[in-house]
Amino acid sequence: MYAVKSVAGAMGLGLIGFYLGLGIVAVLRWLFGYPDPWGGEINIIGGWVLGVFLWLMGIGMWGMWGREWFGLKTYQRNLPGWQRYFTFNTDHKVIGIQYLVTFMVVFFLAGALAMLMRAELAQSGNQFLSNSQYNGTMGLHGILMVAVAVAAVIGGIGNYAVPLMIGAQDMAFPRLNALTFWLVPPVAVGLLATPFLGGIEHGWTAYPPLSVFTNSSQVLFSLSIITFGLTSILGALNFIVTIIYMRAPGLTWGRLPIFVWSMFATSWIALLYTQGFAAALLLILLDRLGFSFFEASTGGDPLLYQHVFWFYSHPAVYIMVLPGFGLALEIIAHFSRKPLFAYKYAVAAFLGILGLSGVVWAHHMFTSGMPNYLHGPFLVATELISIPTGLIFLSALGTIWLGRLWLKPPMLFALAVIFNFACGGVTGIFLADVPTDIHLQDTYFVVAHFHYTIVGGEIFALFAAIYYYFPKMTGRMYSERLAKLHFWWMFIGFNATFFLMHLPGIKGMNRRIADFQSELDPLNLTISLAAFLLGASFLVFIWNMVYSWVRGPVAEANPWQVRTLEWQTTSPPPHENFPAPPVVRGGPYDYGVPGSIHATFPSAPSAGFAGAPAGGGQ
Amino acid sequence: MALATAHHEAAHAPAHNHLAINRAGLWLFFFSETILFGLLLSARFYLEGIHREELNQALGLLITVILLLSSVTAYTAETAIEHDNKKVASWYLFFTIVLGLIFAGGVAYEWSIAHFHRSESFGSIFFTMTGIHATHVITGVFMLILVWAQALRGRYSSKNPWAVSAVVMYWHFVDVVWVFYYPALYLTK
Amino acid sequence: MHGKHLISVALLWAGLTAVGELLVFADLFPTVGSHEAEDFDSIFRFLLILGIPVFTFVIAVVTYAALTWRIRGEAPDGDGPPIRGHGWIPRIWLAITAGLAIFVMIHPGLTGLAKLQSSATAYGWGKEEADLEINVTAFMWQWTFDYPDGTQVSVSKGGEVVIPVDKYVKFNVNSIDVVHSLWIPAFRMKIDAVPGRTTFMTVHPTRLGDYREDQSYRVQCAELCGLDHGKMWLPVRVVTESEFEAWLASLKPQGN
Ligand code: HEA
Ligand code: HEA
Ligand code: CUA
Ligand SMILES: [Cu+2]
Repeated sequence: MYAVKSVAGAMGLGLIGFYLGLGIVAVLRWLFGYPDPWGGEINIIGGWVLGVFLWLMGIGMWGMWGREWFGLKTYQRNLPGWQRYFTFNTDHKVIGIQYLVTFMVVFFLAGALAMLMRAELAQSGNQFLSNSQYNGTMGLHGILMVAVAVAAVIGGIGNYAVPLMIGAQDMAFPRLNALTFWLVPPVAVGLLATPFLGGIEHGWTAYPPLSVFTNSSQVLFSLSIITFGLTSILGALNFIVTIIYMRAPGLTWGRLPIFVWSMFATSWIALLYTQGFAAALLLILLDRLGFSFFEASTGGDPLLYQHVFWFYSHPAVYIMVLPGFGLALEIIAHFSRKPLFAYKYAVAAFLGILGLSGVVWAHHMFTSGMPNYLHGPFLVATELISIPTGLIFLSALGTIWLGRLWLKPPMLFALAVIFNFACGGVTGIFLADVPTDIHLQDTYFVVAHFHYTIVGGEIFALFAAIYYYFPKMTGRMYSERLAKLHFWWMFIGFNATFFLMHLPGIKGMNRRIADFQSELDPLNLTISLAAFLLGASFLVFIWNMVYSWVRGPVAEANPWQVRTLEWQTTSPPPHENFPAPPVVRGGPYDYGVPGSIHATFPSAPSAGFAGAPAGGGQ
Repeated sequence: MALATAHHEAAHAPAHNHLAINRAGLWLFFFSETILFGLLLSARFYLEGIHREELNQALGLLITVILLLSSVTAYTAETAIEHDNKKVASWYLFFTIVLGLIFAGGVAYEWSIAHFHRSESFGSIFFTMTGIHATHVITGVFMLILVWAQALRGRYSSKNPWAVSAVVMYWHFVDVVWVFYYPALYLTK
Repeated sequence: MHGKHLISVALLWAGLTAVGELLVFADLFPTVGSHEAEDFDSIFRFLLILGIPVFTFVIAVVTYAALTWRIRGEAPDGDGPPIRGHGWIPRIWLAITAGLAIFVMIHPGLTGLAKLQSSATAYGWGKEEADLEINVTAFMWQWTFDYPDGTQVSVSKGGEVVIPVDKYVKFNVNSIDVVHSLWIPAFRMKIDAVPGRTTFMTVHPTRLGDYREDQSYRVQCAELCGLDHGKMWLPVRVVTESEFEAWLASLKPQGN
């Protein structure tokens, strides 16, 4: 098996690199006369850098890319079947599936951690997790889920669907694309190794000085996140260039499918702000090595970190949710069999959110002791975002109005996105309001708010997209009955869990604690039971997906009778997506417009190709 | 198992030339980097206002001039390639490498004589800003060396100038960053 | 054709809103222990009154559409009307949502903030005369409360914080290690304890209270500060002025 050998070899190289890095730093420390050449965290940093580099080279970057730097010929191995998922493959469809499967696994792991937390929180007092174990579990759940939220839709669905939707044969930089995926395994390994170095003690936000004083797992956390930031930035860059330059002839900006627009806006946010996350954690690493950015006694300031961190991490919530909105609108238009309502306003909404996302960060810092003159402007800017977000709702509600709603699983999940996010968005207003936030900050009200927005908005959209694209990706169909069962189960479990979670928050239960005031026992027990209900719903999903991928009935090229380009090719699509380059003639959502056509394939081989010319369902 | 040969970036861009795509990618990368450098610059003023510690002014000015000069030599190399003047290009790439190394050496010397320590906040700022910038310079030098080695073998020409112009653009970018960093670190009061 | 649907949705919306607004009367809040708590509760209720219709509007349209316009067959038997949403509908939507957003921004938002920052029960500017100033020091994972007038009383683990009712009590907050946060749920007030700077908050308790009867009377650390963050809390007791004096006096002999 070439794939197995190549992954094993790359892992070996990575390990060698890691120890080599440790050693090189040790030698340097020895040369410069430090007392303890092996003892520093700087050794781990050196090991990480060299380890990740050699891992990448081993997995295929050397052959396909590195050789070019030295004027040698590059080569690519095209492996058949499942093996291509384990090599440095540049096909965007392969990369999309690699991302999706990887992050689904991470999602289930992090979800299992959430179940552990809910079990502990079913009752006040410490049951079976110590405080330090609880902190580790909570922090790992948070950061893994944030990674899922940032990368699953963009890396998975975005990579898979965007080039197809715009009629391209691949992304603009295919090798860069493969690189962004293969940077992910080290990140996962780094984060999952943190429990063995003491566990993440500081939640996903890593506020100093705590994160400077805490155990060495912090170093792995920071390095992983910096690396993850790199993949985010490179991926975003790739999407922007692809969307600008690789559109099929005739696919003007005004005809672009709305999901592509959302990916475009998201990519700009990721490109411009992710540096903040990386910079914040870089400064933490430096402080751990004796710098003093955040050490008040020598002129530093802990609030500096919070500014830099939220400068990224607020825009990051829109990185999470905008592709979710895009998918929801996309699916709603196709399954209502109507043009997308107020398309231009929806586009303006994405761009408006992109514009505002960078000027609201300090609403996470209302109680931080920052100067008081900052409260007003950040309150105003934050609440302004509800205006463009409202336009997304206008578009969704207008589209289903008088539509012909085909309530297939993707559509159910897409409607749930709108439903859930209405709640998550409105609770955001309570938090953006300084007088209420002062009480609510750091309570379960915030926890409820962000699960409503992230899980309710984005994860539901992710599932919508999985049910939408499953036949395209695998060429097989899943059981619709099980999918609907999963939907209702998850929808009810989700709303029960997280709606109730607002209440302990208002009552005065703070986040990030293993033990709470006993008066909240009944409420927390109910929430935990609801959470277990929610967790169990995924068993249906896992079964349905695994079974159908192997045994499901063969899917049609266009099972949903949709007009956009990705459905006008075979399921799954051939290597370079279309048998002939498409030419776009009209908008993607012109359902009900007589004689309208989205695209044709002028030079397609005439016989036996599904879906050309591409009218979709009339 | 097929061993296909050279696979090019952006092999299938419809009707657009690859140069535009590559250039756009590079520019986006610069945007992103600008934020990183900008954040550090903001952190400098956030923590220290315009206060600064004493620094070796002569050395600062000297390395700044050297870096600016290296942008000129890089530019010369790029134009030379565009005119298929391969010999001149190689030489000027070489000059750029040397100037870049002198700059990095200057920074290292400045570090060794600095009378403040990294555990003071100005020290944190100064070492981080110059350090990250110098890391970019060193990376640039590495890339210049790779390109130079190829240029010596005559691989670039007016038809195939991308690698040279890319590394030169990067070099200009690093230079521009220093144009902001130098006054922020050396010239405030 | 629109009319019938519009009326039905409006009715559904009204019904859902009526049910939803019942939340306003629910027993949501902890004990109202101070002026700030009154303000918080009324602003929260006000936002709830405004927010619930927004939420129920979305739900009403989604449920109504899903129930009324669903396709029952195996495949769509045609397309919907090609309405594109140009013209006045989007503009009206934009006007209403923008109006609403600007309204909440100004009314409970900026006005509430102004009250918070200017009234004697201040969060923030902290320039007002307080009847009692207490210096609070947070450290992993305990608190120290230093009362004025030489009667410096350290309250740490196992102790309790006692303050008098109907007085302006100002806390000057410091931390000596990591970021903590001083929060008393009954007062709805919170401020971070940040190393290297002194932050403050003022509260005006309006009723007597005791942690043993009411768990919202407690000082709770509300910023993750490591291992025992969850245990970093202390009981609070609000007492009459004479009881307060007596309490201070009783502590004096042991104090140092
Ligand atoms: C996908 C993720 C996501 C999204 C989209 C949002 C969206 C919003 N968030 Fe949220 N938020 C988080 C994820 C997200 N958030 C996370 C993870 C945290 C906690 C981080 C941590 O501390 O760990 C957080 C925390 C957080 C805080 C800090 C709380 C605290 O710690 O004290 C605040 C405060 O302002 C806030 C506000 C908002 C607002 C105003 C929006 C707005 O964008 C919402 C706008 C949407 C609507 C308002 C609804 C739709 C609009 C209409 C139907 C139109 C009509 C409506 C009106 C006119 C009101 N969020
Ligand atoms: C994408 C983002 C995301 C998602 C999807 C979730 C999903 C869930 N989250 Fe989480 N959560 C966060 C992001 C997310 N969370 C963040 C950012 C924090 C803040 C951390 C911090 O404060 O630093 C947080 C914090 C957080 C807390 C607060 C902890 C605290 O402050 O002390 C709680 C408590 O109930 C919680 C619960 C849940 C639950 C019950 C789910 C459920 O929806 C999960 C359901 C999924 C499953 C249960 C998976 C099911 C798996 C199987 C059935 C198979 C098991 C298989 C294997 C083991 C392979 N989350
Ligand atoms: Cu102190 Cu949390
Ligand atoms: Cu935010």
